[in-house]
Amino acid sequence: MTTKTVLNARKAAAGLSQEALFDVLRAPLITEKATMVSEKNQVVFKVALEATKPQIKVAVEKLFNVKVAAVSTLIQKGKTKRVKGRPGRRSDIKKAYVQLAEGQSIDLTAKLG
Amino acid sequence: MQVTPTLTEGLKRSFTVVIPAADLQGRCDARLAEVSRDVKLPGFRPGKVPAAVVKQRFGESVQAEVTEKLVQESVKSLLEEQDIRPALQPKVDLVSPGTDGKDLEFTLEMEILPEIPTPDMSGTKLTRYSAKVADEVVEKALSEVAQRSRKFETVDEQRPAVKGDVLNVNFVGKKDGVPFDGGTAEDVNVEIGGAGFILGFAEQMEGMKPGEERTITVTFPENYQAKELAGQEATFEIKANALKKAVDPTIDDEFAKSLGLESVEQMRKLIAEQAEGEYKQLSRMRIKRDLLDIMSEKADFEAPQSMVEAEFGQIWSRIEEERKNGGLDEKDAAKDEETLRADYRKIAERRVRLGLLLAEIGRKQNIQIAQEELLAAMQQEARRYPGQEQAVFEFFTKNPQAIESLRGPILENKVVDYLIELSDVTDKEVTPEELADMPDAD
Repeated sequence: MTTKTVLNARKAAAGLSQEALFDVLRAPLITEKATMVSEKNQVVFKVALEATKPQIKVAVEKLFNVKVAAVSTLIQKGKTKRVKGRPGRRSDIKKAYVQLAEGQSIDLTAKLG
Repeated sequence: MQVTPTLTEGLKRSFTVVIPAADLQGRCDARLAEVSRDVKLPGFRPGKVPAAVVKQRFGESVQAEVTEKLVQESVKSLLEEQDIRPALQPKVDLVSPGTDGKDLEFTLEMEILPEIPTPDMSGTKLTRYSAKVADEVVEKALSEVAQRSRKFETVDEQRPAVKGDVLNVNFVGKKDGVPFDGGTAEDVNVEIGGAGFILGFAEQMEGMKPGEERTITVTFPENYQAKELAGQEATFEIKANALKKAVDPTIDDEFAKSLGLESVEQMRKLIAEQAEGEYKQLSRMRIKRDLLDIMSEKADFEAPQSMVEAEFGQIWSRIEEERKNGGLDEKDAAKDEETLRADYRKIAERRVRLGLLLAEIGRKQNIQIAQEELLAAMQQEARRYPGQEQAVFEFFTKNPQAIESLRGPILENKVVDYLIELSDVTDKEVTPEELADMPDAD
């Protein structure tokens, strides 16, 4: 990935509409691990599979009105389960660990405007 | 807990209770910690849910739960501390619910039980009325039984039916040409001129021969139980099947045997026993009433208004119900609304006073209700629903508060027994009519 493509991606993300931002972030992930990393001022979200790091950064910054220092993502593959003997697959989930800038915080209980 | 009495007037008491926010908070946190130990949330191993998450999820419901418990506890301790016996459940109003770190504040309104002086009932003069079962009564009951089980024999005559005859008929009742519910029957024995049917029905069949058909018109009485028919005119198409004659069975051992008994003697004895039981019940009711009359004169304490109000409300709703159905007592119907209310209010007050007094005597004399007595009452209750005894028992085992409701009457009877024993009872024999002629029971 060249510097140019990265810059292009950032630019594209910055131009996302308000509705598109809501499509990027699916839900906050509230688990033991998520509460643990919150001590490091990280917040975890379930995000759209096709969402990119720049998009997630923009979405979190705009929707929660905070400054984001870094975003790491991962795709958790769905398990293969059998229903009545037939194999099926659970959907993959993309998670985003969002490192907030120092002094910033998000109240996940508050309603989004 | 900080208690401020706001009203002390007669039997009424009011308090304002303030519980500091810190207390409430502490209790909430303790309860939350308890909850977090066995709460299951997706994403967390059991027991590993952080306090903050638990609070966010369950904070509100825990707060409500703790508030309620705290209010209940403080009411209880308040009553104990101040040595108050409330007449009814105290009324609690939350002034400030104690959220957002504010103090929990509520008001408490109630009426206390008055000081109940137990009157000295020893030496009260009572008369126990009793009556002997007269032979005529037995004979009359016997002939009634015979009449009820009389048979109809077909008469092979082609003559018109006269009064006293019985016609076996089929009939179809129609209103405005349309058959109505319950107006059609077959193979019915109708006594000409006899009672049991609507006016004019049996009378108009006079003169019918077996095989004859006739259409009659009758008017249902205004107070007929089926509302849509009351006061209406209807036609009945009647077909006479056969002429019959009623035959009273002769009262002998044979007849007794057909009823599953051994002899006429045994029947007589049974009837006599039954009548005696009725007289005994009447006699007890009467002596109890007399006793209560005397007691109500002696019970001159103030009755808690809320209890009177509750009792009156019950009586009044029954009266309203009766009025709607037109079954109001003639005497009551003649009175206007206001006097009626005043009258029943008096009765309610008397009942409340007597109830309190009886309970108080029971408490002082330490009259207890044994488990067997409750069981007996339960059995009696169950017997009132034949075929469903098992269900009734089940109901009682499942609803302990229903058993409590049986307690009241038992205790009352026991106290009354105790008081009758204390009293100076004279026995007096009267005729059954005099015994039955009781003053109005309230």
